[in-house]
Amino acid sequence: MMAIFQPFFNIISETGRVVQFFFQMLDVWKRKSISRDLMFEQIWKVTVQSSATTALAGFFVGAIMTVQFTMEMKDFGALGYLGGLSTSGTIREVGPLLIAFMLAGKVGAFTSAELGTMRVTEQIDAIRCLGADPIQELVLPRFIAIVISSFFLLGLGLLLSIFGGMLLGKYFSGVNYEEYLRHIPTIVSLPSILSGLFKCFVFAVVLAVICTHRGYSTTGGAKGVGRSVVQTAVSTMVAIVIADWATSLLADIALKIFLRSR
Amino acid sequence: MIEFKGLVKRFGDRTVLKGLDLTINGGEILFVLGTSGTGKSVLLKNLVGLLKPDAGQIWIDGEEVSAFSEEQYLPIRKKCGMVFQHPALFDSLTVFDNIAFGIRRHLQCTAKETQQKVSHSLKLVNLSGVEQKLPAQLSYGMQKRVSLARTIALEPKILLVDEPTTGLDPVTTNAINQLIFELSRKLKTTSIVVSHDMQCALDIADRIVVMDQGNIVDQGTPDELRKSTVPLVKDFLSEILQKEAEQ
Ligand SMILES: Nc1ncnc2c1ncn2[C@@H]1O[C@H](COP(=O)(O)OP(=O)(O)O)[C@@H](O)[C@H]1O
Ligand SMILES: [Mg+2]
Repeated sequence: MMAIFQPFFNIISETGRVVQFFFQMLDVWKRKSISRDLMFEQIWKVTVQSSATTALAGFFVGAIMTVQFTMEMKDFGALGYLGGLSTSGTIREVGPLLIAFMLAGKVGAFTSAELGTMRVTEQIDAIRCLGADPIQELVLPRFIAIVISSFFLLGLGLLLSIFGGMLLGKYFSGVNYEEYLRHIPTIVSLPSILSGLFKCFVFAVVLAVICTHRGYSTTGGAKGVGRSVVQTAVSTMVAIVIADWATSLLADIALKIFLRSR
Repeated sequence: MIEFKGLVKRFGDRTVLKGLDLTINGGEILFVLGTSGTGKSVLLKNLVGLLKPDAGQIWIDGEEVSAFSEEQYLPIRKKCGMVFQHPALFDSLTVFDNIAFGIRRHLQCTAKETQQKVSHSLKLVNLSGVEQKLPAQLSYGMQKRVSLARTIALEPKILLVDEPTTGLDPVTTNAINQLIFELSRKLKTTSIVVSHDMQCALDIADRIVVMDQGNIVDQGTPDELRKSTVPLVKDFLSEILQKEAEQ
C-alpha cells in the first residue's frame, strides 16, 4: 500500500533538496564574487546553443497564432487586431513557456550531463581539494547564464514570432504588414509585458536550479549521468507547468490589485 | 600523524565504514588494500572533508578536523594532497592551467613562480613539454601523471593516492608505482596509497592495511602480512606466494 505513495515522498524530498541547494547557491553568491569571464562564457554558450531553435520555434509560433486567430476573427471583421492579439498572447504566455521548454530540452539536459560527468569523474572533488568552491566556479556561472540568456532568447523568439505572424498575416489572412503591426502597441499592455518577463524569469530560475542540482548531485558513474539527464528532462517539464499555473495565478491577482487601485 | 577513531560513514541506510580505527605514522608509506566497494575511496575522502563522517573522529597532526567547516578545511587540503582515481583533469584547461589551478588558489605566488612550480612538478613525474596540451590529447597514463603533478605542485606533507594504477598496462603500472615511491621519499611525505596491487604493496609499502566491508581486517609490515592467517589476505597473497615458490 505504501508503495503507491513512495513516488510522492520521493518528489517531496527531492523538491526539498532542490530548495536547499537553491539557498546554498544564494548564500555562496552573497559571500563570494562570480568571475565575469566565466559568466560571459556561459551566457555566450547557452545563447548560441539555443538561438537557432528558438528563432525557428518563434517563427512558427507567430505563424500558428496567426492562422488560428484568422479563422475566428474574420467572422467578426476584426482582422486588424490580428498582430496585436498574437503578439500579446506570445509575450504573456506562449513565449516564456516555449523558451522554457526549449531551454529545458537543450541547455538543461546539457548542463546536468556536464556537471554530472564532472561529479562522477571526481573533477568536482578535485576543485574542492585545489582550494576552490565548485558552487562559485561551476554552478553559479551556469545558473546565472541560463537566467540571463532566457531573456535574450525570449526577445529573439518574440521578434521572430512577429515576423512569422506578419508573413502569414499577409499571405494567409490578407492583412498587410502595416496593419498587422499597427495594433501591437495598443493591445500589448505593460502588465502583459511585465507578466511575460516575470514568467520567463521564474521558469528560467526553476529550470536552472533543477538542472544544476541534478547534475551536481549525480552518483553512480556513467549510468548515473544518463539517469540524471532523463530525470532533469522530466522534472523540469513538470516543474515548469506547475510554475506556469502558479505564476498565472499570481499575475492574475496582481492585475486585479492593479486595476482596483486605478 | 593521522588517526581515525571509530569512523562511521553511511549513505542512506547503507553503512559503508563501520567504526574504523587506523593510525598512520608520519613519513611512512601506507598501502590500503581491499576489494572494490569496501570504502577505501570513502575513507580518503573523509580525511580531506569531501565527505563528512556520521560518527567518529579524524585527527591530523593533533587537530580534530571532522567538524571543520569548508573554510577551515582549506589548509588541511593544502597539507593533504589528494590524487583521485580518475585523472579528474579539467577538460577545457591546458595541462599548465590544470596544474596552476591549485597553485593560484592555495599558494601566494607570482606568475613566474607559478611557471617554475608547474614545470618542476611536471619534471618530477617525468613529463616535460606537455604544458600547452589539453588533457584529451594525452594518453590515460599521462593524464594520471599530470594529475599527480597537479597535486605535488602544492608540496603537500601528506599524499593521498587513490588507485594510481587501476586500468593501466603493466609497464606504466610499474613506472607509476616507482614514481610514487620515489616522490614520497624525495618530498618526505606521509603517503596513503589505495590499491589492489598486493605485489606492489609488498615491494614499496612500509605498512599495509587490508580492508573488507568497511573495516580493517589485518595490518602490518609486508613481512608480517606475508604470514597472515586472515582468509582475504591469504587470497590476495596466494598468487604471489605461488609465483615465488616456483622461482
Ligand atoms: N557519494 C556517494 N553516495 C552514495 N554512495 C556512495 C557514495 N560514494 C561511495 N558510495 C558507496 O560506498 C561504497 C564504497 O565506495 P568506495 O569507497 O568508492 O569503494 P572503493 O573501496 O572501491 O574505493 C560503494 O558501495 C559506493 O557505492
Ligand atoms: Mg575507490
